[in-house]
Amino acid sequence: MTASTRRAFLRSSAFGVGAGAAAIAALGGCVGPGPGAQGASKLHEVLKRGTVIVGTGSTNPPWHFEDEKGQLVGFDIEMARLLAKGLFDDPGKVQFVRQASDARIPNLQTGQVDAIFQFMTVTAQRAQLVDFSIPYYREGVNTLLPKSSPFSGALDMARLGKRIKVSILQNVYAESIVHAAMPEAQVLQFDSAATAIQALDSGRADAAAIDESTVRWLVRQNPDKYKAGGHGWSPQTYAAAVRQGDPTWLNFLNTVLHEAMTGVEFDAYAAAFYKFFGVRLASPPVGFPIEFGARA
Amino acid sequence: MYQFNWRPVFESIGLLLNGLALGIGMALLALAIGCVLGLAGGFARASGPKLLRFAVAAYVEFIRNIPLLLIIYFVYFGLPLVGISVLDNLWSFVLALALYSAAYLIEIFRAGIEAVAKGHIEAGKAIGLSRLQIARHVTIPLMFRVVLPSLGNTFISLFKDTSLASAIAVPELTYGAIRINVNTWRVIEVYAVVGMMYLVTCYAIAWLLRLAERRYSAVH
Amino acid sequence: MDALMTNFPLIMRGLAVTLEVSLLSLLLGTLLGFAGGLAMLYAGPWLRWPARAYVDLVRGVPQLVLIFAIFYGMPTIGAQVSAFTAGVLALGFFCGAHVSEIVRGGLDSIPRGQSDAAKAIGLTFRQRLRLVLLPQAIARILPAWVNTAVEVVKASSLVSLVSVIDLMMAVQQIVGRTRQTLLLYAVAAMLYFLINYAVSVVGRRLERHFAHG
Repeated sequence: MTASTRRAFLRSSAFGVGAGAAAIAALGGCVGPGPGAQGASKLHEVLKRGTVIVGTGSTNPPWHFEDEKGQLVGFDIEMARLLAKGLFDDPGKVQFVRQASDARIPNLQTGQVDAIFQFMTVTAQRAQLVDFSIPYYREGVNTLLPKSSPFSGALDMARLGKRIKVSILQNVYAESIVHAAMPEAQVLQFDSAATAIQALDSGRADAAAIDESTVRWLVRQNPDKYKAGGHGWSPQTYAAAVRQGDPTWLNFLNTVLHEAMTGVEFDAYAAAFYKFFGVRLASPPVGFPIEFGARA
Repeated sequence: MYQFNWRPVFESIGLLLNGLALGIGMALLALAIGCVLGLAGGFARASGPKLLRFAVAAYVEFIRNIPLLLIIYFVYFGLPLVGISVLDNLWSFVLALALYSAAYLIEIFRAGIEAVAKGHIEAGKAIGLSRLQIARHVTIPLMFRVVLPSLGNTFISLFKDTSLASAIAVPELTYGAIRINVNTWRVIEVYAVVGMMYLVTCYAIAWLLRLAERRYSAVH
Repeated sequence: MDALMTNFPLIMRGLAVTLEVSLLSLLLGTLLGFAGGLAMLYAGPWLRWPARAYVDLVRGVPQLVLIFAIFYGMPTIGAQVSAFTAGVLALGFFCGAHVSEIVRGGLDSIPRGQSDAAKAIGLTFRQRLRLVLLPQAIARILPAWVNTAVEVVKASSLVSLVSVIDLMMAVQQIVGRTRQTLLLYAVAAMLYFLINYAVSVVGRRLERHFAHG
């Protein structure tokens, strides 16, 4: 056989392999930017579709996590359901796309999801890439301590300087967050909240620096295993996010959130707030609009 | 078009180089401990009592079929729960990697021991050496040449496996990449550099091993 | 113990994901591996050198770095991949590099005489490969391929580090909720062992099947 027939054989089999490989890679997920809707607002697109597609995570209680039956539950989930209710009068008409934290912005930009409810911290850098809604929660960082810990909180531990080990989820501000309250502590970054908390449980870390809301949730779930540190710091705003350049959709989302926090849907919001954070919210005052400062 | 910006990576090159050195160091330590276990286990499997042979074989089969990550988590998170919390994350990783490598090294040494011609052992017995002396002066030197290539390959594997230490926050090369990335988001540049560092190191080790093999493969 | 019972469905789902990742990566890797091995042996230099480069590159880089590079790198060039896809691609490339070497070694080890004799009786390259070389090479390729399959299953645990909820991640989450660390790790170890044991058993059976002739 000549070299050319051998080469032809290899070309055809390479093509076959390429096609097979592409097919297999496509089985696992989508590759490539999704189509964008130019002109018409996403609001109409979603209304026509009949469900809203919301990006969220699945591994971070109390925001978005799975219960024993594998159903997605959490505060972010409840917010998404309020959005669905606002759109279709049916909190069930929402389809969740589970995504890791770093897929939040890309999934929004490529149109894979209509909105994100994924305990997203508002930052100026991110605001260059997506449109944020009004805040639906104000977060902070606190330390989760074992119940038997001799420390009372972050300020207490800061006195021990370098001897303190703090575990935290890998993220952009990990080191600076911990050092804001405990300037010399050793920072151990872990790939997931589960691992970071295991580090605490096994004594590998003296404290886990996690969101105030998660600390409250874990202490509520396991009052005999954990206690919350007395010092919370690093204020953050949590908001939902939508793709840039769609003021109608953004305005709709803001309306839904606003009425959840101050208006007709307040009961649903407060119920979720108590269920996941253990805090009873006072009913918003009637009369002068609360947005413009409290008046007697 | 993606704008390449190599500066954040090269500003942190010290971090990466330290991580690389740590990775090599951990691999060496794990290899050393693993070799001790491997020799003991190899001799046990080659010429020990039946129960011991079975126990060692079971260990080898078990460890070789479970993920290294699981062993790492077990040592790092699990041992403190039974009271063993003296090991920090670095030593936990070294222990986990040593236990993992032992499973492979036991087989390598066993093959090496069995490859030593019976004649040499008989000669040793004939001149009155004890079993331990035979092991020290006959078997081990003779088998060394046979196992050297496999030992070298194992070391290269172990070095690559040190990237898993990043899962328990050991500041080796991959953890360094995570820290740089997470602060600057220069992902492609970081992993290009880190990948190259692993690649070059693996090739350097392989090249050194080839030199060593040539040096030691004297013909009898 | 009843932590295990209540969380059993989650463990099973994690197991299913582990099996999915492993199977898809193995499939992708085997296809790539055959293509790569054949390319390195028989192709012209334009295909041979890239194949060689691919194999050498992938084998010098840890699997975890491959996974991170694809998972974090793809979005920055515009392609959006899920963690699952990134894991399958990375492990598929890893598996492909190993299988390429195995296929190359297996085919290369067949004595030249076989090939020459087949040429002499007029078989085309495709026929030579299909009827003479591959059947003999399979017997040599299989044991090493089974080893690679086991490595792929073990490496699939690394996708837990990009938050894919495979067996490893499922176990971590359950441990986080129930504190039954040692019990759950033991269960995970047993499950991984069973999978790989099954792979080895199937592999041995296949080897026996291909051993004649």
